[in-house]
Amino acid sequence: MTTTGVLHPRDTPDPQAPPIQILGLHKHFGDLHVLKGIDLTVNKGEVVCVVGPSGSGKSTLLRSVNLLERPTQGKVFIEGIDVLDPDVNLDLIRTRIGMVFQSFNLFPHMTVLRNVAMAQQKVLRRSSVEANKIAHDMLVRVGLEDKVDAHPSQLSGGQQQRVAIARSLAMNPDMMLFDEPTSALDPELVGEVLEVMRGLAAEGMTMMVVTHEMGFAREVGSRVIFMDEGLIVEEGLPSEVLGNPQHPRTQLFLSKVL
Amino acid sequence: MDMRDIRPTVRRRISRMLSYLIFLGLIVALAFTADWALITKVFLNKDIALGMFPGVFRAALNTILYTLIAFVIGLVLAIVLALMKLSSGPFKWFAVGFIELFRGLPALLTIFIMAFAVPMAFESLRALRIEGVYYGLIGLVFVTGAYTAEIIRAGIQAVPRGQHEAARSLGMSQMRTMITVILPQAIRIVIPPLTNELVMLLKDTSLLFIAGATKANKELTQFGRDGMSSHFNSTPLLVVAVFYLIITIPLTYLVARLEKKMAVKQ
Repeated sequence: MTTTGVLHPRDTPDPQAPPIQILGLHKHFGDLHVLKGIDLTVNKGEVVCVVGPSGSGKSTLLRSVNLLERPTQGKVFIEGIDVLDPDVNLDLIRTRIGMVFQSFNLFPHMTVLRNVAMAQQKVLRRSSVEANKIAHDMLVRVGLEDKVDAHPSQLSGGQQQRVAIARSLAMNPDMMLFDEPTSALDPELVGEVLEVMRGLAAEGMTMMVVTHEMGFAREVGSRVIFMDEGLIVEEGLPSEVLGNPQHPRTQLFLSKVL
Repeated sequence: MDMRDIRPTVRRRISRMLSYLIFLGLIVALAFTADWALITKVFLNKDIALGMFPGVFRAALNTILYTLIAFVIGLVLAIVLALMKLSSGPFKWFAVGFIELFRGLPALLTIFIMAFAVPMAFESLRALRIEGVYYGLIGLVFVTGAYTAEIIRAGIQAVPRGQHEAARSLGMSQMRTMITVILPQAIRIVIPPLTNELVMLLKDTSLLFIAGATKANKELTQFGRDGMSSHFNSTPLLVVAVFYLIITIPLTYLVARLEKKMAVKQ
């Protein structure tokens, strides 16, 4: 239904348009004004790292991209498509946006292989043979081919997160969103997840990463965005924002975390 | 001799012995005042008990059959009701109304209404000549469906929000997410209360006796009651009671085991 047949023009991505474009985004949770007017464009192949204190709205911003949070005001374009247009096929757009969560959110009642293969079959209508083949390839890629028959509860946090990345990659996304992917991990497991992400960035995947790993942002990020109290306070090259912050709030934050 | 001179351990032993003695005394007193000859005649008539076989097996089978039918259809109904209740709009209010109605009414009254009033009210149904016990069974489906719906709803809400988000962000629709990701986990969570509901339902099939079934369709309680009427003796009730226990006690232990297993998992 979603992949066969000719796409309606309004559901057809524009290859020239930036993967993510956010204009004047506001988000309220009741009386709480979480995002206070965000403008952000993520270009093809860019790795944009979003940093800032907790409660600054970085996760909400990320979750607004695939509309897990519905903005109260503003526009979100994915590859040129206005995702807030009620007539566009949002499920179809979401297949092109991989998302990795802080708490992994693997499906606990399925094996690792099934976790990675299931959405390919149900959403992209791939045959089970094809879906399992791709799932297996993706698990090889994240170094977990020996865990195909395990259940998520039998894996370490780092392994679970790598399965979650494989699950997203199996959908052939055009871009990936990472919502604090290493924050729930024991320190010794952070490295293996960052390693996979580093590989993705090197292959040119468009990525938006909410993270507290300043080392990763500095090394892999093509741009760093510092957010505070629902606004982008400062943005630029990692070496500039992290190495020579201009805004006092950025300086204060970095002095605490570095 | 002063009580306080006795060692506490000994004192505790004496008081425990005393309480056992009093309890035993009460039972013995009851046993002596009871008219055993009459009790044996009314409740423990061997010939009447033996005369219930093999018919009682048929009745036990019917009880199990009615339980399973009502449980399976009730479970499907419950899932639909739970999803309706969690939705917004008119479906939600239908589900709320249905659940409140059938949880609020005594099950006996629901079965009574279904078995007698409904076939009377609908001419076309009467022409089908379906036995009253089946209408009663529909009533039982409604009752267990209403109770189970609340169990399923609680299960759905116990599945972490992140599961829903992960499925939706993979492009799965609301419906697909519910069927492949949420419901399988929700049902796993509520297996203990669900099994408990099964035990309750098994006992509630006894209420079907008021709908009145023909010989082949009698369940245990009606079988026992009819046996009591025809022999003018209560032995059939005792036999039937034993059959209920043979079915329910293993089931109850199963619930306990499942609950323990779920507790370990968490």
